[in-house]
Amino acid sequence: MSEAQAFRLRVTFRKSGRLALLSHLEVARALERTVRRAGLPFAVSQGFSPHMKIAFGAALPVGVGGTQECFDLYLTRYIAPEKAREALEAASVADLMPSSCEYLGNKAPAPSVAYPVSTYLVELAFLPKKGEPGGTEDKEPGRAEGLNKPCVSAELLVPPETVLVKRKNGEKELASADFLVGPLEGEGNMLRFSLRAHASGSLRVDAFVAALLAAHPDLEASAITRIAQRPV
Amino acid sequence: MTDLWPRLARLLAQAERPARYINHEWGATAPVPGTSYREPATPDLGLGASITASGMSAPVPGVYRFCMVYPDTYELGQPNQALRILCKAVNAQEGMSAERAFLPAPDFCDLMRQEGLPLFSLEGCAPLAQFDALGITLSHELVASNILEVLDLAGIPLHAADRDDSHPLVIGGGPVAYNPEPFHLFFDAFSLGEGEESVPELLHEHRRCKQAGMGRADTLRRLALVPGTYVPSLYVGLGQEEAQARGTWLVPAPRQDALSREAPRQDAPCQEAPRQDTLSRDTLSRDTVPVFRRRIFTGFSQSPAWEPCVVPFIETVHDRLNVEVLRGCTRGCRFCQAGMIYRPVRERPAEQIVSAVLEGLEATGYDEVSLTSLSTTDHSQIAAILTRLNQACEGKGIRISIPSQRLDAFGVSMAGLVAGRKKGGLTFAPEAGTQRLRDVINKNVTEDDLFNAIDAAFAAGWRHCKLYFMLGLPTETDDDVKGIASLAQRAYDRAREAVPPGMRGSIKMSVSCALFVPKPHTPFQWDGQIPPDEAMRRVNLLRSSVKYRAITVNWHDPATSLIEAALSRGGRECAAWIEGAWRRGARFDAWSECFNAQTWEDAAVTLGFTPAEAASRSWDTAFIPPWSHIDCGVETGFLRRERQRAALGQTTPDCSFGSCEACGLCPRYQVEPMTQEPRKEASHE
Repeated sequence: MSEAQAFRLRVTFRKSGRLALLSHLEVARALERTVRRAGLPFAVSQGFSPHMKIAFGAALPVGVGGTQECFDLYLTRYIAPEKAREALEAASVADLMPSSCEYLGNKAPAPSVAYPVSTYLVELAFLPKKGEPGGTEDKEPGRAEGLNKPCVSAELLVPPETVLVKRKNGEKELASADFLVGPLEGEGNMLRFSLRAHASGSLRVDAFVAALLAAHPDLEASAITRIAQRPV
Repeated sequence: MTDLWPRLARLLAQAERPARYINHEWGATAPVPGTSYREPATPDLGLGASITASGMSAPVPGVYRFCMVYPDTYELGQPNQALRILCKAVNAQEGMSAERAFLPAPDFCDLMRQEGLPLFSLEGCAPLAQFDALGITLSHELVASNILEVLDLAGIPLHAADRDDSHPLVIGGGPVAYNPEPFHLFFDAFSLGEGEESVPELLHEHRRCKQAGMGRADTLRRLALVPGTYVPSLYVGLGQEEAQARGTWLVPAPRQDALSREAPRQDAPCQEAPRQDTLSRDTLSRDTVPVFRRRIFTGFSQSPAWEPCVVPFIETVHDRLNVEVLRGCTRGCRFCQAGMIYRPVRERPAEQIVSAVLEGLEATGYDEVSLTSLSTTDHSQIAAILTRLNQACEGKGIRISIPSQRLDAFGVSMAGLVAGRKKGGLTFAPEAGTQRLRDVINKNVTEDDLFNAIDAAFAAGWRHCKLYFMLGLPTETDDDVKGIASLAQRAYDRAREAVPPGMRGSIKMSVSCALFVPKPHTPFQWDGQIPPDEAMRRVNLLRSSVKYRAITVNWHDPATSLIEAALSRGGRECAAWIEGAWRRGARFDAWSECFNAQTWEDAAVTLGFTPAEAASRSWDTAFIPPWSHIDCGVETGFLRRERQRAALGQTTPDCSFGSCEACGLCPRYQVEPMTQEPRKEASHE
């Protein structure tokens, strides 16, 4: 089979800026089209409905960005990683940009399960009060850069015991401790923590942050970014 | 221009699909000419880069800004060809930029109103009210209420008469503009026909008027001189009786202020184009109403078939590369408006189409291409085009699709060329159930054509087939309705014979019925629509006549078809009706889950207007319809002749395959059909 001989290229990319608002499916479609535009010799599955041999990493929720996201692309011939990166870069939109490429053996775990531990960085901002200009016409919120930004308090570093998550078959309470890896850390208006995915499921980072901020109605997460992914 | 992005971004967490509103797709143009989105939008690599960062360059003063608006959501509007073509044409003009705008989903419209956020363009996230001009494309009658939703959400006065120099010029275009009268209150001007050349001309003239500091009234009079432009406020509507006596529904409006004495500048592009026949500075002041000719893009065949386009992030209705292979169709189906208003047939050369597809696929990254037109399999070089594309795309996982299937074995063999191993469904449109009625409507296909097509399709491996019919066509009887059932059942029998015994269980056949909606500029423009209860009786007759359980029957809701019919042939009285319905909550009427017939009924009652009567009235062919001042190229005499031939059951051949049928277009517009090779009817073996 051609798959056995295919060259497996792991591409690291970022999902940033307003493109953090793309869903996982939208990112996947956009990346497939990027690969086609880049003119890389991608492998095509041999099934009834032939499609590109590509495997995506763990999904990010809508609204969450990432700086170290990845996908695996199977090529029919060897292309120097740097050349592949350049081709992808030229075919990418600014906020969905590849940063590196490397070849992997075919036995390496799939990108969706290879890195169960994700580290997130959350930027906190004050919610504009009703009637205040914060975020209204002509004005960049830019509160993070301004003087008026919140500081992570000790109180914010205490994780909520449980997080209520909505699923297709109703609501479910998840215990934070089952997913948190290490403590919450704060610096300025930035909050950092790591969550671990289990085979049985994971805790959505946006749900975790919402629970964390539930007791702070003046605060909002102005950006949530996955900054690292690693094995357990 | 104001950048609304920071305000919009805060609301996107509540949007059903934020990607509808975020712009920055591959191929999106920057709102400032000469810049690009590929320059890092978010230079700070990630560490908490906020979604609300605008990443926009400051607008350059002095640039003329145009926004193309599709009055429905992104998913429906982004694939629209007019939007793409006109944005491209305007962006190519020196000192002009074009942006896109769509109506947000209903919930998000409400949220924006609640938050006081006005409707915005995608590229610059700028309020629509701040543009120099808006182009709203009118692709079907049911967008009527959405036009008002667009204007209201944008904070632009609904009525052209209430707009002043600070408001954008609001231009309408598209097939529905061929009867602009129901919309006359809402638009400053209509651009009739193909806009590749006329829209830039119109905008250049508008820019000159603005630069000269001309007032709105004078500006509109100047714009009326650009060929293909109709400015409804320059005319007053007449009642039906007077209209029939005078031979026109309009008279020039009394002059409120003197037309500027300044002579038109000679460097204006509109001066180089042919002028509107009877329209000149003098006639504007006299007691005559000119005939407004549509524009035809005569350079179509030579123009590039591939032009850079936007590749959406979200899945849209036609989420693939579209390459327009030919324009116009002269098969002459007597109910079909597209077959009249896009004449003459103009084919692009095979060579150009093939290279456009390959270039387009490479540049966009799409894995599917559709060869679009009204009748792609009629292209004189279609077999060569498909064969070459097949070879070129081999092994790349590319799908090639043809939007409409010609109803014969040739159509099937063309579909077979591109289907590969994956054969979805095939769609055929016999339109009527009996040969008598097919002759009446000039659908030049026979039962044998359909059966040959079915034989070929099911033998080649297809298992699903959809048959399109129309109910309520002029002269239809119960026998014609039962004929649909009979035809479908016999088609099913043929399909069974063509399929090996073990696989017959997988055969699926469906019958889809639309209700006949009379359209302006067609031979059936004088014919009424059957009332909704009669339509339902015929639907039920059809359902009870279909005895095979394997054949499913689908039909359109007659309530929406009634609104379409009342609007499509309506006059100026419809404008108040549209507005009344919108004020009662009508919007997104083309979405069955949003359509509320009550809003339209209540609005009609208040006005003493009876839509059912408007939809169902039939006129003698001597009747002057409310759109008689709009010239689509095909002469009324031809339409009358075709209506008479219909009554006699006589068919009329397609002029692109043989002799001229004298529709009147070519000599008057100095155009002619342009096929790459002589077209040949496929033999029926």
